[in-house]
Amino acid sequence: MNWNLYSRGDKFFAIVVSILIGMFTVATLYPFIYIAALSFSSGFAAQAGKVVLTPIDATLEAYGYILKDPQFWVSYRNTFIYTIGGTVMSLAFIIPGAYALSRPQLKGRRFFNLFIAFTMWFNAGLIPFFLNMRDLNLLDSMFGIILAFAVNAFNVILLRNFFEAIPKSFEEAARMDGANDFQVLWKVFVPLSKPAIATITLFCIVSRWNGFFWAMVLLQSEDKIPLQVFLRHTISNLSDDDEFAIVQTAAGFSAETVTAAIIVCSIIPVLIVYPFIQKYFEKGILLGGVKE
Amino acid sequence: MSGVVLNKIVKKYGALQVVHGIDLKIDPKEFVVLVGPSGCGKSTTLRMIAGLESITAGTLAVDDRVMNKVAPKDRDVAMVFQNYALYPHLNVADNIAFGLKIRKVPKAEIRQSVQEVAEILGLTDYLARRPSDLSGGQRQRVAMGRAIVRHPKVFLFDEPLSNLDAKLRTQMRAEIKRLHKRLGVTSIYVTHDQVEAMTLADRIVVMNEGRIEQIGTPMELFNNPANRFVAGFIGSPPMNQLHGFLEADDAGPVAQIGRLKVRLPKSEVLENQNGKPVVLGIRPEHVTVDEVPGSFPIRINLDLVETLGSEALLHTDLDGMTFVARVETLGEISHLSGVDTLHVKPDLLKLFDAETGRSLSVDARTGT
Repeated sequence: MNWNLYSRGDKFFAIVVSILIGMFTVATLYPFIYIAALSFSSGFAAQAGKVVLTPIDATLEAYGYILKDPQFWVSYRNTFIYTIGGTVMSLAFIIPGAYALSRPQLKGRRFFNLFIAFTMWFNAGLIPFFLNMRDLNLLDSMFGIILAFAVNAFNVILLRNFFEAIPKSFEEAARMDGANDFQVLWKVFVPLSKPAIATITLFCIVSRWNGFFWAMVLLQSEDKIPLQVFLRHTISNLSDDDEFAIVQTAAGFSAETVTAAIIVCSIIPVLIVYPFIQKYFEKGILLGGVKE
Repeated sequence: MSGVVLNKIVKKYGALQVVHGIDLKIDPKEFVVLVGPSGCGKSTTLRMIAGLESITAGTLAVDDRVMNKVAPKDRDVAMVFQNYALYPHLNVADNIAFGLKIRKVPKAEIRQSVQEVAEILGLTDYLARRPSDLSGGQRQRVAMGRAIVRHPKVFLFDEPLSNLDAKLRTQMRAEIKRLHKRLGVTSIYVTHDQVEAMTLADRIVVMNEGRIEQIGTPMELFNNPANRFVAGFIGSPPMNQLHGFLEADDAGPVAQIGRLKVRLPKSEVLENQNGKPVVLGIRPEHVTVDEVPGSFPIRINLDLVETLGSEALLHTDLDGMTFVARVETLGEISHLSGVDTLHVKPDLLKLFDAETGRSLSVDARTGT
């Protein structure tokens, strides 16, 4: 970068922007670093508030404690089931739905588009939704969790906009070649929409992986709860458990370090997946903003 | 075999009527070009034949079978699109094979068909490439390959060359013509380029504002335009249209165009029409700088000389009206700069009714 080409105002602007980006980066990154450092620190150090940036009295005791807990593995497995099942279910609804809504020949298209968009701003609320799930016999049901949140209006509209931007002649050429609606969608539109589909896949994965509130409300059985709910149970249990407080001191971990270890374990899969779909994600978040 | 028949075809979008009862019969193996300015209804007509637009009224038949309600895939027609519409995620071979795969043709047969088509179109070396790795001309050939491979009864071309540069367009035009000769499939081609229409067509259909203005062979349209619109559309540069009125003297009718008097042949159509406003049509090609036997002179003010190489266009002023002449240069244009008189061959003049625009020159091929 040749600074001589920039005016004083430009230089000042560049410096301010760099400082702001630096502050934002620290603000985003520090909680991760802190949690990771905490999870590898001793219980004494954590309780004494000595952990700032790096592990103090480094130990794997907290990890040893949670990895030995069978409930951790059950909830980890459940989270995978909810994430994979939920994402597949979402795509199975969203892709055909978005395609139908993008076709001008759909009768009542305006109404259906409005109907879908309406749910972005207004919904039934907690109690009616809970009662609805109860009446459908979907309380405390893994399938209920997968099905109930399969369609997200934002994702439908995102993909619909992408489908609408695909030149009409692709569909017409496929129809002339003998393709029906289903074939037009799967053989032409889906391959042409990879960036958009990758983006909504990522949205679905992240939202399912982090899904906490509705799982807590709708699931009662310990063998069905996801990792996030298990994390919450652990936090509340450990902080109230006096017996645990005695054990932990001797063992070298504390409620804080165990909580941090669970958080690190829950982040790892997302950290592994993200780099592979990052390029699509960056394209995807701009979708609908610019029509070529 | 009775080809494609359009009987009083109408297309409406709500209250807006864009095609007004078109009648057209296209013989088997014929190459017909629909030509006209933007918005004249030619592409809509083609898309109705393809089944991509519904037909509001009238009937469309292909080989005696009414197609109005038949789905595009069941019409046995193939279409080449203006923007090629090649699937970017498939390579050339898969693009060509797409229609056959959809129709569940056996794999061995597909492979053989694709190979044959690739050989016809010179695409054998490009079968593994994606469309993005091809030039414009190659993409156009792939689009044609996709149409050819199904052996349809009718080929439809929707301005297929309009995205190519001028040189490639000329080359592809010849290829399409050659291909039609080789395959002998009924072809309907839409363009707004009259040069494409003239060079490719067995017959041209000139359209304007949703109506057919004239149907004929390229030379019929060039020599005998039915009206001023066709006269102005076919030919490059277009026919000069000079406004004047009819008079008569003892020797017969005369067209008075500014200071110019043009003797017209005696004709019942022109009798007792003194003072009738008319338009005299003179093709730029029917004008010479030097006098030729039988020609009559016209005085002009030379405005501009455009050099085309072997020919030049003289843009002139004739009594306030623009008049263009296309003359031979013989490799030299210096003698053109002082031209003040041009010579017109009288037997090729056209006369139009200024009010209706219709041709009056059924036998107006003589007179000065």
